[in-house]
Amino acid sequence: MLKITAEELKIIAQYIHEISGIYLDQSKSYLFETRLGSIAEELGCTSYRALYDKARRDPAKLIERQIIDAISTNETLFFRDTSPFDLLKHKILPEIIDARAPRSPLLKTNIKIWSSASSTGQELYSIAITLQELLGTQMAKFNFSLLGTDISDTAIKQASYGKYNKFEIERGLPRQTLQKHFTLFGDTWKVKDELRGMVNFRKLNLMLPFTGLGKFDIIFCRNVAIYFTLEDRKKLFNKIADCLADDGYLIIGSTESLTGICSRFIPKRHLRAIFYQKK
Amino acid sequence: MNNLTILVVDDDPVIRRLLEQRLAKENYTVLLAEDGHKAENILQGNHVDVVLTDLMMPGDIGGIEVIDIAKDLNRNIEVILITAHSSIDTAVEAMKKGAADYLEKPINFTELFLRLEKIATMRSILRSAEDLRQAMDVTETNAAATIQNLELAVGNIQHKLDTIESILTDDSIDSDIRVTNALNILLN
Repeated sequence: MLKITAEELKIIAQYIHEISGIYLDQSKSYLFETRLGSIAEELGCTSYRALYDKARRDPAKLIERQIIDAISTNETLFFRDTSPFDLLKHKILPEIIDARAPRSPLLKTNIKIWSSASSTGQELYSIAITLQELLGTQMAKFNFSLLGTDISDTAIKQASYGKYNKFEIERGLPRQTLQKHFTLFGDTWKVKDELRGMVNFRKLNLMLPFTGLGKFDIIFCRNVAIYFTLEDRKKLFNKIADCLADDGYLIIGSTESLTGICSRFIPKRHLRAIFYQKK
Repeated sequence: MNNLTILVVDDDPVIRRLLEQRLAKENYTVLLAEDGHKAENILQGNHVDVVLTDLMMPGDIGGIEVIDIAKDLNRNIEVILITAHSSIDTAVEAMKKGAADYLEKPINFTELFLRLEKIATMRSILRSAEDLRQAMDVTETNAAATIQNLELAVGNIQHKLDTIESILTDDSIDSDIRVTNALNILLN
């Protein structure tokens, strides 16, 4: 494996932060080597400096994409940690549905949900499944907008395709749910069109301004800010507060905290889960 | 150390015996079935990691049906098909149904053992990934409970401080009363 020098660590760490917002601890040189070494070798680079120069010069930004894919963690599961989905089903959705009830029964209820670091889509599909389970035949009365965004093009592509291998899917999803919403092809499961049609995915770098997203009723921002510096976390949650409806709901990772990061939110407990609302 | 249990399904007793001997010599646990029905019975009553089945067998259950039976019982069972060269198209079809691999007759044992090792390695990687996930889940659940309690406690303290601040800075009220009110909030 290609060894990284102290100087290269500094340059690469700064570059990764610039393109993705991800902050990598420079004391963990093995992390850079295991994740970027094979890309460097594949591209015929004899040093990480050469990889960096090549990435910078690449007008199509294909190398940048490869680096983002290699660096970002896509550990995610359907209904990974069930508590946010229970929270959604039993507390948040009933409340928001009441709050957004239209004046005329002829009108539909509009609800916008955002999975801000959607990775390969499991979180957003889990949200869509939760909506269907809760509302069933009532679904027609609603106009749900479900958006998933991620920094990785590859993750967005897989999410949009909705195809998962058996290891990615069979843990976390009960057999009944699996068969209801997915079709089996050999060893892979593909999301059925009905579920696929409910969601949209697109690329977004959380470090950049959120333009054109509008206001959301519910935002999931789980286990992504942990890869950012304190300063970047503050900026991120401030922007999230800007695009969350005044009575909207924010769900962060179960081991994350907003203490010292964003004072615009207050934590609230429901059973074993915590969610945030604006002050 | 090979700890995989392999079910051999073949109507030819010579091939069954040959496979049994060679696999046992490599320390695999071997179960035998001469047709699809026997295979189904064995699969229902035993833990099997890999099914090694002939594609063409007399009777109503062929190799393709064996894949379905095994996968219906447990999706983690891997199936390797043994085929004559002429039936490779069918074997490819079988891969689409979830077969792990196929081998052409006559069986090349070096090849067979390599495939089995690959399956064993894959299983041990999956097992350790699963162990890590479980360990992570336990850690995460505990950490989450601690963090959430702290988060709520800090939230309450912050709320108290905000209230006290607004009381103390309210010029319309006499300063002694302000201090008393603020103290009351603090002590509650």
